[in-house]
Amino acid sequence: MECVVQGIIETKHVEALEILLQGLCGVHRESLRVHELCLKSVPNLGLVSSEIRLLCDLEQPEPTWTVRHVGGALRGAGADQISVLVRNMMESKVSKNALRLFYALGYKLDHELLRVGFTFQFHRGAQITVTVSSVNKMLKLHSTDEAVPVTPGIQLVEVTAPASSENYTEVVAAMSSFCEYLAPLLHLSKPGVSTGVVPTAAAAAASLMSDGGGTAL
Amino acid sequence: MAAMEGVTMAGAQDQPPKVVERLNPAVQQQLNLDSVKTRAISLFKAISRILEEFDVIARTNAVPKWQYVLGQFSMVNLELYNIVEDIKNVSKAFVVHPKNVNAENATILPVMLSSKLLPEIEVEDNVKREQLLHGMQILPVAAQIEKLKTRIDMIGAACESAEKIIADARKAYFGTRQGPTLLPTVDKVQAAKIQEQENLLRSAVNHGEGLRMPGDQRQVTSSLPMHLVDVLATNDTTQTFPDSSGMYQKGTPPLLTTAGNNSQGSLLQVSGAQFGRAAASPSGATGSTSFDNTTASPLQYANSPRSGANIMNMPSPQQQQPQQLQQHQQQQRQKMMQQQLLNQQQLRGSSMPSLGQSQLPQLHDMTSQAQQKFQSQMQGQHHVQFSQPLSAQQLQGRQLASSAMHMGQNQLNQGNQLNRQLNQFSSPANSAIFNAAQTTPASQMIPNMSAMMPSQSILPRMQFGISGGNRTLPAPSLSDQMYNMGAANAGGMMPIQQQQQQQQQQQQGAFGNMSQNTPQNIQSNMLPMQNTSQNHPNFQQQRQQNQQ
Repeated sequence: MECVVQGIIETKHVEALEILLQGLCGVHRESLRVHELCLKSVPNLGLVSSEIRLLCDLEQPEPTWTVRHVGGALRGAGADQISVLVRNMMESKVSKNALRLFYALGYKLDHELLRVGFTFQFHRGAQITVTVSSVNKMLKLHSTDEAVPVTPGIQLVEVTAPASSENYTEVVAAMSSFCEYLAPLLHLSKPGVSTGVVPTAAAAAASLMSDGGGTAL
Repeated sequence: MAAMEGVTMAGAQDQPPKVVERLNPAVQQQLNLDSVKTRAISLFKAISRILEEFDVIARTNAVPKWQYVLGQFSMVNLELYNIVEDIKNVSKAFVVHPKNVNAENATILPVMLSSKLLPEIEVEDNVKREQLLHGMQILPVAAQIEKLKTRIDMIGAACESAEKIIADARKAYFGTRQGPTLLPTVDKVQAAKIQEQENLLRSAVNHGEGLRMPGDQRQVTSSLPMHLVDVLATNDTTQTFPDSSGMYQKGTPPLLTTAGNNSQGSLLQVSGAQFGRAAASPSGATGSTSFDNTTASPLQYANSPRSGANIMNMPSPQQQQPQQLQQHQQQQRQKMMQQQLLNQQQLRGSSMPSLGQSQLPQLHDMTSQAQQKFQSQMQGQHHVQFSQPLSAQQLQGRQLASSAMHMGQNQLNQGNQLNRQLNQFSSPANSAIFNAAQTTPASQMIPNMSAMMPSQSILPRMQFGISGGNRTLPAPSLSDQMYNMGAANAGGMMPIQQQQQQQQQQQQGAFGNMSQNTPQNIQSNMLPMQNTSQNHPNFQQQRQQNQQ
């Protein structure tokens, strides 16, 4: 299970966001370059088509693969009140043969994308991961070297934290309080909800950049 | 009279007026000290009267009149009560500490009471006084007070002006730095553009909109990136997986005429062969040939009345008895698993049910001979595929949930033997096997298994598999569980030593993805899976839930 919120930020403010996160999290950024393949089982062959994502981490010298399944979200009146999406999620490291396996099982490639950016992982009430990345699409199949951004001027910010059904309320609280710190730069919401940009982003970014100009990252 | 009073008055005034310290008149009134004084005096008088009485009695040795004496005492009591009430008011205005003098404060009290400062404090005090009243000590006190007051006023004025200057400077500083203090707003046009971009981005990330490529662009034309080079074997380019249907057709034209189970078996064989191609084994050829050699037996089952009858019979579990429920659930599962596994669009309609039914009865026919054949085939194949004994275990152990998976996987491995194995899982056979497995290590299972398995530990594994199968297939959540089976089986296609772990993992994974249930359901599903008897209620509950 995981708690997740997403937001967008203009590309010109990403550096300021990085400075802010560096200060808030206290850890160093880790670069991110993930090739994400979304496989779907063919829909008219089962009651429900299932979708899994294979993530290949290209940042390591040896690419590592992860398989990830995103399940349904928490529903109900309580779920509507919290500002964070709590959903089932299973993840596992797999060998590089996972792709062949899933093809053999009957999954087909639905879409693929490449995420390039950075991520911060830290503990602040819960184990929180903040990922700021530009989402790129590949014009030719699997051509990760020739990927272009889907939206050049906007990058995606995702804040996730693993949770279990017993402690998800604390995790939600920890995430919400952390997200408030990012309020001057961006607004975070559940993945289906669009937020727009924050009007104070420019001023906040300017102040962050001017103060942080002397610090080396 | 008046002259005398005036004289005495004048006489009294000749002396310098004495400074008498008096309490603040308000406090004096509050304390009402006069009343306290009168009460004290009356109390004193009453007590002294009693004492006199006793004195007289003692001298005359008379018998005291007790009634009278007691009356006196009661008078004294009353006076005492009144005076205590008055004293309370007095004592409210004062605090006394310590209340009593006893051993511990007897020595310190004089020091506490003295008004003379300690020597060093006295020195400090003198120094400060000197500083303050520099040159003023000779003046009368009033003049000193005046001078100190002026000094205080000057300092106050200086502070005020300083504050003013700071406030002005602050305003100027912030004013020039931030410009107008209005809240910044986003330009509407720009906001609309950004909103549009944002929707694009969010839908791309969350749903993959805008990232899908039409089929013709899905051929791998340019060179693959490094991480995909060895994953997607490039010598399979003519048979890329998305076009697996074409591959299947290539491999099995002679088998398409069957009721479908065989063809599916062969198709899966072909894909299995391709799957194993990375290991550079000729298993593809052997697989198809072996399949061709042994098509006779599956065909019998394919046309059996059992399979035929079951093709059309896919009732909802709610209409069935629990025993039949399991059977039909198995069939449904098989159907769904097949459908997901087999990427054969042209075969879906006809072959799925028959495949499930007809191939299952063949599973029991697994012999050591077949096993050897498996092994020979297995050696050349990809390590991801099932090992020989593992396949038998899995067939029997995973009848219910993953029989189709087995079919798919086993068909990947072997040809005809798999068909035979799968055909063992016809509905009556399934229920028999299932019940047997559930209750006891059934005799019919043990011979098969012992022939195939290296150890006796297959039985608990099998039970796990069955129970796991039971659990994992409520229909609406089938996709998740399919994934689980797939993912877990991906992990499970390991050498036999690790099978038990994987089965357990599989089950755990299945539980984790049981359905898109609430966390409570997931919790309940995560109960230990070792107890198969628990599984049935879970399973049935889930089925009911999911079918609502």
